Amino acid sequence: MSDKLLFDRIDEPGLDTIEVYMRRGGYESLKRALRMTPEEVLQNLLDSGLRGRGGAGFAMGKKVSFLPRGAMDKYLVCNADESEPGTFKDRELMQKSPHMLVEGMIIAAYAAGANRSFIYIRGEYELQAMKLEAAIHEAREAGFLGEDILGSGHSQTLVLHRGAGAYICGEETGLLDSLEGKRGNPRLKPPFPANQGLYQGPTLINNVETLATVPHIIKMGGTEYAKLGVDNSAGTKLISISGNVQRPGNYEIELGMKSRDIVYGLAGGPEPGREIKFWFPGGSSSPVLTPEDLELPYDFDSMAKAGSMLGSGAIIVVDDSNSVVDVALTLAKFYRHESCGKCTPCREGTNWTVKMLQRIHEGDATPMDLDIIASVQDQIMGNCLCVLGDAMAMPLSSMVAKFRGEFEQYIEEKRAAAGFGEMPEPSPIAIAGAA
Amino acid sequence: MPRPERRFVTFSIDGREVSAPEGVMLVDGAKYGDVEIPVFCYEPKLGAPVGACRMCLVEVEGIPKLQTACSTPVKDGMVVHTQTDRVREAQNSVIEFLLVNHPLDCPVCDKGGECPLQDITFGWGRGISRMVEPKRHFKKPLELSPLIAIDRERCILCYRCVRFSQEVSEDYQLVLNERGASTYVGTFDGHPYVAPFSGNIIELCPVGALTSRAYRFRARPWDIEGAGSVCTHCPAQCNVEFTVRDERVLRVLARDNEGVDDGWLCDKGRFAYQAIHSEERITEPLVRDSESGELVPATWEYALDVAAAALQAGGSKTAALAGGTTTNEEGFLLQRVVREALKSPHVDSRAGLPQVDLGLQQALAAPGLQATIPDLEFAHTVLVLGTDPIDDVASLDLRIRKGVRRNGVKLAVATSRPSALDPNAKLWLRYAPGGEHAFVAALEAAVTGSGDLSALCDAADADPKALEALAALLKDGGEDVVILWSQRLGAAPLPALLNVAAALRLEGRDGAGLIEVPVGGNGRGLREAGVQSNGGPGLSAPKAPGKPAREIAAALASGDLSTLWLLHADPVRDYADRRLWERAAANADALVAHATLLNDTLREHATVVFPAESYAEKEGTIVNLDGRVQRLRVAIGRPGAVRAEWQVIADLSKRLGLDLGVLTGPMATRQLVEAVPFYAGLTLKEIGGRGVRWQEREAASAAPAAPAGPVESGEPLPAPRPNGALRLGTYRPIWAAPEVEVSPALKFLAAKQQAELSPVDAERLGVDNGAKVSVTAGDATVLAKVFVRGNVPAGTVFLAEATAEQSATELLGEAPQLVSVEPYGQRPPVPLEGLARGARPSDDEVNS
Repeated sequence: MSDKLLFDRIDEPGLDTIEVYMRRGGYESLKRALRMTPEEVLQNLLDSGLRGRGGAGFAMGKKVSFLPRGAMDKYLVCNADESEPGTFKDRELMQKSPHMLVEGMIIAAYAAGANRSFIYIRGEYELQAMKLEAAIHEAREAGFLGEDILGSGHSQTLVLHRGAGAYICGEETGLLDSLEGKRGNPRLKPPFPANQGLYQGPTLINNVETLATVPHIIKMGGTEYAKLGVDNSAGTKLISISGNVQRPGNYEIELGMKSRDIVYGLAGGPEPGREIKFWFPGGSSSPVLTPEDLELPYDFDSMAKAGSMLGSGAIIVVDDSNSVVDVALTLAKFYRHESCGKCTPCREGTNWTVKMLQRIHEGDATPMDLDIIASVQDQIMGNCLCVLGDAMAMPLSSMVAKFRGEFEQYIEEKRAAAGFGEMPEPSPIAIAGAA
Repeated sequence: MPRPERRFVTFSIDGREVSAPEGVMLVDGAKYGDVEIPVFCYEPKLGAPVGACRMCLVEVEGIPKLQTACSTPVKDGMVVHTQTDRVREAQNSVIEFLLVNHPLDCPVCDKGGECPLQDITFGWGRGISRMVEPKRHFKKPLELSPLIAIDRERCILCYRCVRFSQEVSEDYQLVLNERGASTYVGTFDGHPYVAPFSGNIIELCPVGALTSRAYRFRARPWDIEGAGSVCTHCPAQCNVEFTVRDERVLRVLARDNEGVDDGWLCDKGRFAYQAIHSEERITEPLVRDSESGELVPATWEYALDVAAAALQAGGSKTAALAGGTTTNEEGFLLQRVVREALKSPHVDSRAGLPQVDLGLQQALAAPGLQATIPDLEFAHTVLVLGTDPIDDVASLDLRIRKGVRRNGVKLAVATSRPSALDPNAKLWLRYAPGGEHAFVAALEAAVTGSGDLSALCDAADADPKALEALAALLKDGGEDVVILWSQRLGAAPLPALLNVAAALRLEGRDGAGLIEVPVGGNGRGLREAGVQSNGGPGLSAPKAPGKPAREIAAALASGDLSTLWLLHADPVRDYADRRLWERAAANADALVAHATLLNDTLREHATVVFPAESYAEKEGTIVNLDGRVQRLRVAIGRPGAVRAEWQVIADLSKRLGLDLGVLTGPMATRQLVEAVPFYAGLTLKEIGGRGVRWQEREAASAAPAAPAGPVESGEPLPAPRPNGALRLGTYRPIWAAPEVEVSPALKFLAAKQQAELSPVDAERLGVDNGAKVSVTAGDATVLAKVFVRGNVPAGTVFLAEATAEQSATELLGEAPQLVSVEPYGQRPPVPLEGLARGARPSDDEVNS
């Protein structure tokens, strides 16, 4: 067996068709699962120790088990709104092996007792949406979707829905609102989607990679899958490496691999002559780590212990050719742009943070402003309706804490360039919105 | 759904043991322990909490993150802290964030001094801001609608106004545009936010972002006083608080009364106060000058003498009519003078609608058969029969929507005209105008299983299957059924309605019963006070029955009656058969009126016009549609020479030889209470600010006993067949009222005549939206603009009553009417061939 599961011969031509996929043993796991009871499937998921691959890392089997039992309208939603900067693993998976996701969704829906399922894919993924549409069509033709699938009594519909380009719609409750045709704003939790999700029905929401892993768990058996990886971080993980590395791209690794082996081994490290300044281990919303942290094994617990998180498995490498201020400003601008505006700390906090960083950038700040930036991040963290606010506050806070010296130096240099001691003219007031 | 039971749980807040009802949110639960948790977005009236503003973060032991108290229900044994450093830090942060983009232009802001953002900043904020960057800027203020100004810089995006529009009034107009810090409130395409309840968002706004254009810059909170009273513009009688500055009403606010209005006001109730201070207000007595023939100002003594002489001359040939804004006391005194001093039995307040047999009235008003307004929210099933609340009793529209949305009330709407509630109804049914009696009889047949359902449905032009479904819903949808029915149904259907109520066993059942929507703000109270031709005070039998309004008109026109006395009534405008009333007014020997505004009838025919008090100047009582006796209180002084109405009536009475024995307003109330057995012992103090339902008092047992057993319903007449002509249906729009026309803010909404046509008829006539048509019955014609409405049944046209011009009352006679509709000012493009002729004798032009 290859050491890869999801990306096993991923580039094989025609893998996106049901023909090739089935020739390679596709939908066998589905048949096997449908011969089991939903409880047995669920047990396999629980045994596998699979943790959500979307960012939060919540145990998938446990999530399934939270759904109430009994006959009612239950939903399965696949979160394919892959919007976290630096993350592009689901894209390749859906494009090259869409049937793996479809098969995983049918099995997961069977375990959860859900009869209606949706894939919410980000609007920019046009090619991937077309591939998935075709795959769903093929699966329906082959009898894997629809009424009484393979005589199991399980019926399921699967609808692909394309988003309209909002980061917040990757937040699970924002996604649900958007799917219902509303403005994509996160909902108050509780109630959690497992109790009241889509159309107020119990809803299981999982990431593409998580669901695509399900057929492999059924194939191997949950306990066998759990032997992959390390304690509390079972299985393999798709990682997207980008930034200052020589070989950016998607890789499948076994969790627990040494971080240095990923960044330098797989991705080739930065250009010769450059040093890594810091790196984001799990997408742009994870607190940054320093080169020393590259010695850590890449798994959920080690990253958490280092004060960051594995997140979506997107490693962004920043080398010494970049200024930390530029990275911080770019990042903050992204989150300000994507904040939905529903809750106060995120709406105002992201906006204010950008304004302060802009001032640093323009040479109109003092080191004291760094204290305010840090304090504003503290005021955001934990006080928001959803995690978007934290997604900016966490990395920014870590950057200011770990690179304060560089920030201060930047401020002094810019101020000197702008004429030390003199306050530049305030920038003209921008007229926003309404005409 | 029946009201849920309330259980109390005990939890700890800031070290205090507090007992609060289970399931309430911590914000409300904390109040039981005198702990205030600041909020902006939380407002339970708007439905489920959204947790957007984050102001109410508190620490709950056992939960690592701070929780929003607005969305966390209290649980037994919960331990909550609201005063820890962590909570304080979070509160400070949220305030700092909110003020990051708030302009802090408090000195020029209308809200300053009564602003939750100011108060909470003062109480829970840090007192400083570290923000030195430029703030977000919007153009300001903008006109959100002709009534409301929006200042988007002040907005803290709490979502309240948007939630109101989406989840309470369900007009779905307000949305949040853009996102993040650029988010702003508005309508999707920028059209003005015009909706019947739009003004409520002004009161909901916790900052100065939404302000009343009528109130803007008129006063500061320290200039004004609040005066609680009741709105008399419609039978909903919402509780209001007048904002008074220097003896002028500058604003009307809601005074939340769960039993009446649920805290909402319609825009008429909110803005029509401007009529109080209209330039056109009559402020001194007017007497017709014998030489010039004009009305000229006169002294009170002279006016009273002239009026008394006229009434004396009329004697038993005098008829008196009281309008809907008349208080119980005024109505009571009026009928005393007419019956006792003038010895005339002709007194009425039923707005020209048919007289209802007294026994039937007593049966319908039986205390055990009355539902309450809150029952609309908790019943299993609500049937709205023959009324569209939005026009007839506005705030109940919101109450019914609330019941459907939040408590799963099953709503059925049975009307001739499409209703604004149709989309919320589980079931909606239509019958032909004129088919009311047949329809209710059909409903009786469907509910009791006896009678010829199909023949009755045929007579009503209703769908028998739908009626069976309605009967099934009423019988099997749960025992708590509330039927909201309109006085406009007329008299004939009422026995059948009573039999339906009996078959559903609504009598004596809490949470179930009937509610009548009277015509006129105090319609119910006036009948109870004895202002009707066949009923004395307390629904007793009068010594001699008099003529109902319609017969009064005929008798005045023919000379059988000679004198007309109008107390806040305008029969020419408001009652059916306008032309008969015009003849009656012209033919009367004398016309004595009490009015706040002049109209053409008074200008041309009145002998004496007494300046009447506005509702903000009055004291007295009125009765809400579910029997709640409410109290009007004086908010401002009377302008000019205006005198209290009870006093004017008493002065007139004295001149007519009858001392009413009334020296003060409360003395009038006492007389009324003594005369109405089921009000016995009621005092103004007991009524207080919230009113009291007389059915819930002991004296209710003194209500007249209704005749027992099923009532004979009578053979209904079939609704007229259109036969090529159209049936005429009428309604009174909420905006068809003089107080709307004279209020500068509301003027733009004043109802204009429009002909609501079905697409089928519109196509047949070759007319489209906005086209002008003439609607003709006999030799009367009304001009109207076409409004094609998808669910108007074919064969019927609907026109508005009581519009300032071209009112449908012009066309209304005694019987249901057929009319012909023709494009006006142009020939129809399609020749109307093959139409049946002979629907009415003078149909020659109709089909040409």
